[in-house]
Amino acid sequence: MHKIILAGESSILIYFGDKIDASLPENIANFANELKSQYSELIIDQTQSYTSLLVNYDLSKIDYSKFSDKVKALLNNFQFSDSAKAPSIIHIPVYYGFETGLDLERLLSEKDLSLDEFIEIHSAGEYLVHAIGFSPNFAFLGQVDERIQAPRLATPRIKIPAGSVGIADSQTAVYPADSSGGWNIIGRILLDLSLNNPENIHKFKTGDKVAFYPITRDEYLSNGGKL
Amino acid sequence: MSIKVINPGFLSSIQDYGRITHASYGMSVSGVMDEQAYMWGNYLLENHFNAAALEIVFGSVTLEVLNDSVICITGADLDFKINNKRALTWHSVQVYQGDVLSWGVLKSGVRGYLCVKDGFETDVMFDSRSVNLRENIGEKIQANEVLKCSKSNDEINHFMAAKFIPNYEQALTLRILPSYQFNEFSLEQRELFFAQTYQISSANDRTGARLSGVPIAKTKSKMISEGISYGSVEIATDGLPIILLKDAPTIGGYPKIGTVFSLDLAKLAQKQMGDNIKFELMDIEQAQKQRAEFNKFFAIEY
Repeated sequence: MHKIILAGESSILIYFGDKIDASLPENIANFANELKSQYSELIIDQTQSYTSLLVNYDLSKIDYSKFSDKVKALLNNFQFSDSAKAPSIIHIPVYYGFETGLDLERLLSEKDLSLDEFIEIHSAGEYLVHAIGFSPNFAFLGQVDERIQAPRLATPRIKIPAGSVGIADSQTAVYPADSSGGWNIIGRILLDLSLNNPENIHKFKTGDKVAFYPITRDEYLSNGGKL
Repeated sequence: MSIKVINPGFLSSIQDYGRITHASYGMSVSGVMDEQAYMWGNYLLENHFNAAALEIVFGSVTLEVLNDSVICITGADLDFKINNKRALTWHSVQVYQGDVLSWGVLKSGVRGYLCVKDGFETDVMFDSRSVNLRENIGEKIQANEVLKCSKSNDEINHFMAAKFIPNYEQALTLRILPSYQFNEFSLEQRELFFAQTYQISSANDRTGARLSGVPIAKTKSKMISEGISYGSVEIATDGLPIILLKDAPTIGGYPKIGTVFSLDLAKLAQKQMGDNIKFELMDIEQAQKQRAEFNKFFAIEY
């Protein structure tokens, strides 16, 4: 079930499963904390993703085989839970409009949905933070309702404005900063999630939940939203 | 004490050893592309291993010294001059207020380093001075900008013996660890990967080096995204390798055939579009031994 593989000269990758699963983010985060607290002097950094944890360790202090053994021993004794405890929910306002949702018009016609139906479906979801990465503060959120899933664009956009909300297959996410990218853009948020506010790096944690709620064009604009 | 930018060149930025503890927030490791040249520059100035340097790509940079300072130029040969006269490189050098430092056209290699005694004192952003343009952390240097560093006078006289100065014209074979999905590639795919000579394509920057060559048929196109190690070699949907470097995303979803040994990535940092690249296998024990020796020599703390 658990597997440890070589990732680099000072890193290993631990797999906790082979399928995306709602119980994994919290379990992996707990394991990462436990590993860090037991071997803080050996561990440089950790990158959590859907089913795995990348651990970067100090090769001047311990080698690959000894470090893997320590991790293996900890994995064998670790209590994994089946049911996630109630996570904290972060509520984010979105203006779902054609000016901000660059792909919205196309998606409505592909999915044969009205704008209201589309908004209803996307904002009804409570999405789990499965991973943070790709770029700073970019949280991968799942799972998106099948009725509004859409594959990445064949040709990524050069520039997606900061705050844009996107969908890629079963995932949804907010682009924290202006970025290139291939997700289908359906709206834009009011919050600044960029590194302009350094505290933003603590905004999302794996295992948290995120919910979106719609705001009107007027609400968006009167609160400083840009088109 | 400081150095003023007269001509910023194409892409010169302040870099240090890297932002090595922020991957969990989605931040790249960042930092210098050629760790060898950078470490030698700091070593010859008796600096801390993490002292920030100016990384200059392709040359065409002019700076004015505002206060006396001890500097050391390493990395690519970019025709470095002081007051328009060829000056020593890989050597600690005293420069004086009013001196003009210039880098002209590229003669050998790609990336040059300007190390100063005790390092540049630009802003620390998320525990590092390294600029990362992809992440909007810091900016490349601008004309008229003043780069702060402390005043220093020559009590140091260190240099690298000529025979140890790297020859960036040498053919490069990158040693690679059989990591990640190595075993999921078929024997034929691996043979094709190790037998051929790739070329560095035009898509070659601090994020990654894309190679051109004969595509190896892919095993699976997309997988569940997972954490990326520095030097990971992704095989993209087109069957061609991308070597992920300092500014690469922290998470990715392409299968990876292995991970290039870090000290070979330092050599790769001095190669450019059209240069040939080959791969050969390396085992983890060798890689860890060599890197540990490097870390010990340069007093790298992690």
